[in-house]
Amino acid sequence: MAQAVAVSETRERKAANSARGRRAVDRLATGALWAMALFVVLLLALFVCYMFYLGAGSISWHFLTGLPSELTAGGGVGPEIFNSFYILILTLLMTVPIALAAGIFLQEYSRTGLFRETVQFSAESLATVPSIVMGLFGLLVFVQTLRWGFSALAGAVTLTLLNLPALMRVTQEALAGVPATYREASMALGGTKWQTIVRAVLPSAVGPMTTGIVLISGRIFGETAALIYTAGTSVAHGNGAYDFNPFHTAETLAVHLWYTHSEALIPDVDRIGNGSALVLLVMVLIFNVVARVVGRQLTVRLTGKG
Amino acid sequence: MSRTALAALLLGAALAAPAVASADTSLTAAGSTALLPLVKASAEAYQNQHNDLKISVTGGGSRVGITQVAAKAVDLGMSDILAKGYPDLVDHRVCVVGFSVLTHPGINVKNVSKKQLQDIFAGKITNWKDVGGADVKIVVINRPRSSGTRAVFTQTIMGDVPVSETGLTEDATGTVITAVRTTPGAISYAAFSGTKKFEGGHYTTVEGIAELSIDNVAPSEENVQTGKYPIWSYEHIYTNGVANKDESRFLAFIQSNSAIIHQLGYILFRDMKVNETDR
Amino acid sequence: MTNVRAAGKAHRTERLALIVLRGASGFFIVSIALLIGYLAVEGTKLFTVDHKSIFEFLFSPTFAPDQGHIGALAFILGSLFVTAFAIAVGGPFGVAVGVFFAELAPKRVASAMKPAIEVLVGIPSVVYGWLGLTLLVPLIRNTTGSTGFGLLAAGIVLSLMILPTVVSLSEDAMRVVPDSLREGSLALGATRWETIWRVLLPAASSGIGVAVILGIARAIGETLAIQLVLGNAPVIPAGLLSPASALTSEIVMDMGGAAQGSLLQHSLFSMAFLLLLIAMGLIVLVKLVARKAA
Repeated sequence: MAQAVAVSETRERKAANSARGRRAVDRLATGALWAMALFVVLLLALFVCYMFYLGAGSISWHFLTGLPSELTAGGGVGPEIFNSFYILILTLLMTVPIALAAGIFLQEYSRTGLFRETVQFSAESLATVPSIVMGLFGLLVFVQTLRWGFSALAGAVTLTLLNLPALMRVTQEALAGVPATYREASMALGGTKWQTIVRAVLPSAVGPMTTGIVLISGRIFGETAALIYTAGTSVAHGNGAYDFNPFHTAETLAVHLWYTHSEALIPDVDRIGNGSALVLLVMVLIFNVVARVVGRQLTVRLTGKG
Repeated sequence: MSRTALAALLLGAALAAPAVASADTSLTAAGSTALLPLVKASAEAYQNQHNDLKISVTGGGSRVGITQVAAKAVDLGMSDILAKGYPDLVDHRVCVVGFSVLTHPGINVKNVSKKQLQDIFAGKITNWKDVGGADVKIVVINRPRSSGTRAVFTQTIMGDVPVSETGLTEDATGTVITAVRTTPGAISYAAFSGTKKFEGGHYTTVEGIAELSIDNVAPSEENVQTGKYPIWSYEHIYTNGVANKDESRFLAFIQSNSAIIHQLGYILFRDMKVNETDR
Repeated sequence: MTNVRAAGKAHRTERLALIVLRGASGFFIVSIALLIGYLAVEGTKLFTVDHKSIFEFLFSPTFAPDQGHIGALAFILGSLFVTAFAIAVGGPFGVAVGVFFAELAPKRVASAMKPAIEVLVGIPSVVYGWLGLTLLVPLIRNTTGSTGFGLLAAGIVLSLMILPTVVSLSEDAMRVVPDSLREGSLALGATRWETIWRVLLPAASSGIGVAVILGIARAIGETLAIQLVLGNAPVIPAGLLSPASALTSEIVMDMGGAAQGSLLQHSLFSMAFLLLLIAMGLIVLVKLVARKAA
């Protein structure tokens, strides 16, 4: 009897102890998770600050618009910034229509079936192709076999293949977010399917779609590995530095950051590298902010709600 | 109607693009980073004088130059080595360049024998104290396979001895110099155009590195001209087929500008007292 | 009459639209088929045309195509190692932060922190590499006395790069766990941590598995961020601090100089094909994991 009481007392004490222990573990784990999350964000903040610290001294009007210097110090990255935007626009011109059309097809027309499955799987596979593998493909097919040479076009087509899947997914998600009542209302008013999509569905999908496109633009802007041997690693020096010819070699800013380092011919490689890295970072930040703001604005304007 | 117009417009644009491409003339050069400074400086000077030709010049290494000019991805392929096995490529020799063996300055070695050099690059000698220097581990810095400089170094110094790959590999002449400067115990090889600068009428080694003599022969312009110093080569620019008008113009411009050639650390053919075949 | 004509026009538009949409969708199939086909043909020439053995390619450490040696083991090991390092460090970290966002973070904190994480995704890989080169490599050089280049530097850079992928996917995975499980566990007297550890994580395990697999996919294909800090020695590294190479960095170093039809070019294509196979394998794995969960 006494024994039984003792046992139950130990049990209770044990239970009390373990409850305290469990609460301690809980607090500890919570603290650890907080610490890890804060650490990541702090790391990022440190990152950004460090890059500003490194690169701020490089940035000047001359740096942003001037011609790169071939051998001496003091060059700029004007043509490289131009080429980054130029290739971005060429890429979007090809990517957006195809990805939009495919996204509409999968989301609005073909919800099941083998064709849909195959397209979906193709897109997912395409999305995982490493960019250097795509770059090798681009070099052999577009640059060499099709004789386009190192050119803005070869770079843009390679980037198109690389970014189509992401853009298609953006379209699909945007369309999936449109309430079914929009479609039903339009159909009830006698609209055909296509009319429904164009008049009722797309306008309310434009907002999130724009957000997605701008975010992907940030990625295209910073892509490097796929461009080294497709768009090339040089710009002409003379009057042709701002060059709209899609068949001319077009080194982008991200490639320039890699290539000036790997060539190291100019004495101020670090200055150019730090400056280029900062410009790339700031562009990514701008793309991120613009994506949010424009997406929200467009949604408000085109659908009349926020 | 508007759809037809759009189609016509797109078709027109597609057809017009290559036409635009061929209407204005541009030259692209790629390849050897040993020859890169000369071609870049020449392109800059040429475009300052003439504005009818756009020239873009990039590195990559000699094999990149040969491969890409053979594939017609570029117009001019720069190389330190002969393009063997490419019957379509036409060789335009530009100048001669010497290659220094360069080290981090902290090792206290000024001279090595050819045998010692082979052992260092083969990974048999691993500390500078074994060749009379400071007690510092040797870090061998190589160029990748695409490099003609590596090919010339292997050919003239290593022979059949395999090069140890365990150190760093650097993409270009310029990065080799940066890496040697920042890595204690480092040793590598690079063209005079990267290791020397021309000031006040003569050459000096660039800051932060040291150049080694080989069997007591210093890596100097004179020693290359007389053939006493072993590591040098002809610098080639290849065109795919006979050079066209623009290519010829630019090639002639490079070859004629002996002042630039000399100042950038290259050697003129007329100053050479030996042939590559004599080496 | 006009109504009929309008209806006819609408019908034609409808048909045309469907053709265009179907065509665009088909483009995806054609692209990936061409890519796989091309790489499969070029990537196997090493074995079919040059009659080298697959065994040598996969298991020999000697890579010197100009002398007939095509062993890619050093690059394969380099890739596997940096990827494993990245997952070992970035994986748990990423999952922990994902769990934090899903279960612990107050709304205000989450909405302030999450955009920051999303910015991490957008930063170009070459910028990560540049930071590694200017910050990490000198740091490692000064503390260890090595050259600073090597697996350690590349592993750290990659850990950081896969973090956002793992964070956002594992957060999603936690969020789809039904609230009933959460409430049930808490009602039974479990602490929040016990609920997370014993109930929610197991319930979200397949989603977290997917997050980790996609993190691997991102790491294995990464090129310039690691090429800049690996040191690019084409040998099996002696340790964390020795220079190394990966499949991707080797391709970028040599692709420009690989002559058409040469052993080097065929070797690079085999490496590219291998990377593609790994990537596709991971996608199939994701599908299997997701199916098992459903």
